[in-house]
Amino acid sequence: MKALVIAESREGQPLENYLEGLSYAKALGAEAALFLVGAAEALPAFAGTLFLAEVAKHLEYNPKGHKALILSAVEQFGADLVIFAHSSYGWDLAPRVAQGLEAAQLSEVVELAEGKPFLPAYNAKLRRQVETSGKLVVTLQGGAFAPLKAGGSPQVTALDTDRQSQVEFLGFEAAAAKELDLTKSEIIVSAGRGVGKAERVQLVRDLAAAIHGDLGASRPVVDAGWVEHSHQVGTTGQSVTPKLYIACGISGAIQHLAGMKGSDFIVAINKDKEAPIGEVADLFCVADLTQFLPILTDKLQG
Amino acid sequence: MKILVCVKQVPDMESRFQVQAGGTAIEEADLAFRVNEYDEFAIEEAVRLKEKLGEGSELTVLSLGPQRVAEAIKKALAMGCDQGIHILDTASRDPYQVASLIYQAVKDQDFEVIFTGMQSQDLGYAQTGLLLAELLGIEAVTTVVSFCQEGDGFLVQRELEGGQRMNLKLQAPALFTCQLGLNQPRYPTLPNIMKAKKKKITQLEAASLAPPAARSQTTSLRPPAKKGQAKFLEGDLGAMADQLVAELKAKSLI
Amino acid sequence: MEATREIYWNIGTEALTTLYLLTALAIAVFIWGMAAQVKTLKLGRPLKRDDQFWKRLAYALSQSLAQSRVRSKRTVGGLHSLFLWGFVVLFIGTTLIFIQADILAPLFGITFLKGSFYLFYSIALDLSGFIALIMILGLAARRYIATSLNLPKNPGDFWSLFLLFVILVTGFLIEGLRIAVTEVNQNPELARFSPLGLLVAKSFAGVDARALRGLHAQVWWVHMVLVMSWIASVPFTRLRHLVLIPLNAFCADLGPKGKLITLDLEDESQETFGAAEIQDLTWKDMLDAEACVQCKRCEDACPAWNTEKPLSPMKVIRQIKELAQEGPTAKLVAKIGAEALWACTTCRACQSGCPAEVEHVPKIIEMRRNLVLMEGQFSGDEVAQAMDQMEVNGNPLGAAPATRADWSEDAEELLVPLNEAEVVYFTGCYASFDARNQKVAKNLIQLAKAAGVKLAILGKGEKCCGEPARKMGNEYLYQALAAENIASLQAEGVKKVVTTCPHCFDTLSKQYPDLGLRIEVEHYASFLDKLVRAGKLKLNPQAESVAYHDSCYLGRYNDQYEAPRQLLAQAGAEVKEMRLRKKESFCCGGGGGRILAEENQGTRINQKRVRMAVETGAKVIASNCPFCLTMFEDGIKGADLEGKIIAQDLSEILVEALASRQPKEKQ
Repeated sequence: MKALVIAESREGQPLENYLEGLSYAKALGAEAALFLVGAAEALPAFAGTLFLAEVAKHLEYNPKGHKALILSAVEQFGADLVIFAHSSYGWDLAPRVAQGLEAAQLSEVVELAEGKPFLPAYNAKLRRQVETSGKLVVTLQGGAFAPLKAGGSPQVTALDTDRQSQVEFLGFEAAAAKELDLTKSEIIVSAGRGVGKAERVQLVRDLAAAIHGDLGASRPVVDAGWVEHSHQVGTTGQSVTPKLYIACGISGAIQHLAGMKGSDFIVAINKDKEAPIGEVADLFCVADLTQFLPILTDKLQG
Repeated sequence: MKILVCVKQVPDMESRFQVQAGGTAIEEADLAFRVNEYDEFAIEEAVRLKEKLGEGSELTVLSLGPQRVAEAIKKALAMGCDQGIHILDTASRDPYQVASLIYQAVKDQDFEVIFTGMQSQDLGYAQTGLLLAELLGIEAVTTVVSFCQEGDGFLVQRELEGGQRMNLKLQAPALFTCQLGLNQPRYPTLPNIMKAKKKKITQLEAASLAPPAARSQTTSLRPPAKKGQAKFLEGDLGAMADQLVAELKAKSLI
Repeated sequence: MEATREIYWNIGTEALTTLYLLTALAIAVFIWGMAAQVKTLKLGRPLKRDDQFWKRLAYALSQSLAQSRVRSKRTVGGLHSLFLWGFVVLFIGTTLIFIQADILAPLFGITFLKGSFYLFYSIALDLSGFIALIMILGLAARRYIATSLNLPKNPGDFWSLFLLFVILVTGFLIEGLRIAVTEVNQNPELARFSPLGLLVAKSFAGVDARALRGLHAQVWWVHMVLVMSWIASVPFTRLRHLVLIPLNAFCADLGPKGKLITLDLEDESQETFGAAEIQDLTWKDMLDAEACVQCKRCEDACPAWNTEKPLSPMKVIRQIKELAQEGPTAKLVAKIGAEALWACTTCRACQSGCPAEVEHVPKIIEMRRNLVLMEGQFSGDEVAQAMDQMEVNGNPLGAAPATRADWSEDAEELLVPLNEAEVVYFTGCYASFDARNQKVAKNLIQLAKAAGVKLAILGKGEKCCGEPARKMGNEYLYQALAAENIASLQAEGVKKVVTTCPHCFDTLSKQYPDLGLRIEVEHYASFLDKLVRAGKLKLNPQAESVAYHDSCYLGRYNDQYEAPRQLLAQAGAEVKEMRLRKKESFCCGGGGGRILAEENQGTRINQKRVRMAVETGAKVIASNCPFCLTMFEDGIKGADLEGKIIAQDLSEILVEALASRQPKEKQ
């Protein structure tokens, strides 16, 4: 099997998410080649074939052009499988490529079991296995496949096309400073009533900082004025689905659960083993926050 | 200007999902259905565009699915769409089939602007809109978080990772898939709910639109082997912290 | 000689023509003035409030002459009542004089103001005048000297009070002068029946009778002109409430208490729903605004106002009055402010204490209806989300409808199938889905089982009763949910329902009949109280001190104050009454759909209420409502009162008493 892994570059720099694509290809035992619209001066580390198109000509956003380039790479390489990251670049391009190949597409593959891809369904409450025939396009959920350690320099095969979108690319705009948007957070560390005192919210903030996560909070903590409302998770706050949710001293009122139980991995830290947060947690640390959080933060920093 | 918005009806994500005997679909009996959240933003943006353009613009909402889907169409009509198209279909379809059915239903209608949600909450394909644009041969922009009509063109922003955005400019005809936060979907007012009851919904049978063969088939549906079975860590706090860090690292969560 | 006096002494009947003319003029001005005052009533929509004449009359009299609501606030209400009754006696006295001197005596030669009746008459009027005089001084002191009360001050009102004062003083002067000339020496026995008059008369001792007569005539005319001026001025001062409040009481909502108007949503002639402009309110709303005397009782009782929210029920009523002056299309929300409208918990404390019979809550709900149904506005995103959840999932918590009966899974032996049930337990959303309140649901079925009642639940057939949505203005959603519940209840042939939520209880019993459901509905407090009385439910008293909180919807809305207290007594609890209890109970903050909303401004209502409970020294604050329980649990944590008091539902105390008697059933 031959897999074409689509790499991405953003503002001139190659992104690292192609390493997850390589990992996926390896797990399937496929021979992998890379595709990139980028610059010859900044090539991704990879010991294999790289189909490279000049970003100066084809821009970082130009779906029709990129689609034509990928189709030509697929043809040259003889790929059966095209692997994208389930990223803003990948989900924009994958269906166009799939249509160009008249192939099926599987979106946001989250696991491989016995060589079969599984997709999350129904708010990640279920997993779906899908059968396809012929060529296949997949996008991979970020973080689902451990990045392959790649080294070396690629052998470049240059690609070109005259096709291009009628969409005028005007450039990038940095994220606007706005009220905290937890819905996009990948890691959230939330403080609940169990922290006991306003001062102890700092322990939760420290933990969040140590693992580069955002601070969340349950309603009573916000009501008490310990944390601003923009951090509130739950039916009266924000509904979040991060990869990792650490609930510190949150008992798990239904209003709170409703706002976070779609998270991929939930860690509860609570001294009450019976707290309903246990119903949604993957890992439940039975501990007193005041003692446990500093130890945990320390280990994470160390 | 003729505007189209495509919406999907999905089960509420809080529902208790139970897999049917066959193992490839869920039991629908006890589910509560709603308009796919992303599509609500699409409807709102379409209604705003129609309102901005005023006289002479017409907004159609289209949905595909069994009889219950009419409720989703009615909600869109109550939010301000002018008429509905319901492709009656009880089969389970893959995104290519869905896009093809929509294409067959609308290809001769010269829609100049099409809105869809960027993905559905239930199956999350994020493909249907783009496939429809490919079939129609029109430009498409995904994950739109800002939309502005100016003269005969559109200035839009796509959302990228980490809140970064990309500015784009294009002309009609075009399709846009909408991301959460694009706007604030309105709550239909009572008079509009009443008016919506009189708006026309055209029903089309999926079979009459010659659906192509599916490109993919669901072969199994199962819960991920975890939720609801928390692993409890107790005892020495230092050891517990080590174990937690190890678990998180193993899952590459940190 | 028989005791009496000469009517129109020293004045003569020739003065009567002038007096009649003056009176006619005063009454004409009065009528014209009142008519001008109430012309805003024409701006309002129609509303039927003229049925049941005798009941209305009796109610109006009980509120006006008997002052029943006024006196509910003891001190100041008592002063007000004495003030009024003083004048009522003086008015009756004056009317009797008119009847005798101007009708019976000239036409039929009949006199009745004589003998022992006259003696009684004399002393009654004398003392009433005195009481009225003291009360005027007292009330004036309260308004103008006790500035800490911050009562509204208006120059017109001041002159009106001052006029009354002068009228009383000149009245005593006239009486004193007459007694000085005709009784002090001639008939001292009779003079004793006018003690105040006699006192005045004695101060004139030694003055020449002719001079006294001259002075008397002058003061008499001054008195009469002042009286007539006062009558003419009534419509233009605070005292217009003498007419408007009895009228407003006559037009009062005779109940059921808090039953809202069910909107006809299918009515195609209706272009607007709820109240956006003055003309969208009813004439009764206008009358309310005119009748309000700004006594501040509503404000003092309002949980929103008392926790620094932007709502004063009094101000809302005053603003409606001001807007009515601007005309039919004056915009309500622009002046009153949506924030104020959303702050209301619909607890009804304003309305139930209002001596002017003003109906605050329905007006606020009408305005909310307009915001929601016509503008698609809510108090916040969290409320919009909750509405969405109710619409899709049939509960505001967003739980899957299929899981509604899950709480009963491990207690199935306590329930019977629907077709065997005597009573259906309408569980409600909180008891169905909220872990804390699920205990209440389990308690109820345990208690019912112990009493031998065959209880069933609707399970998935039950939806939110719609109450929070409705109180937040979403009549459409309420009716949609109600229709589904009614269909479920009717399909199962349910005859009797018991609830653990007073909001469900009020809605099913009082509001659903408009939509076609007529079955017996009971809240569990009265339901269990009856079972205890019938000896079916046996409780073993357990000693505990409990601050009992009257929930608004069981208390003020349904006047059930005793059944829960009886049950607590049966369970052996020592009820520590809070200062604000029963009719004056202080809302938990969760009513009026506020349970769905953030409380971002001011002090948290629940914390204030929990502190009141702590003041009693009780270890438990007990209620009968899932919203109260939720609010108190939060309030105790938020106010850092953990360890000092716990929040419990009445059912928890009852189950404890039950468990000790039947220890086997506990397992």
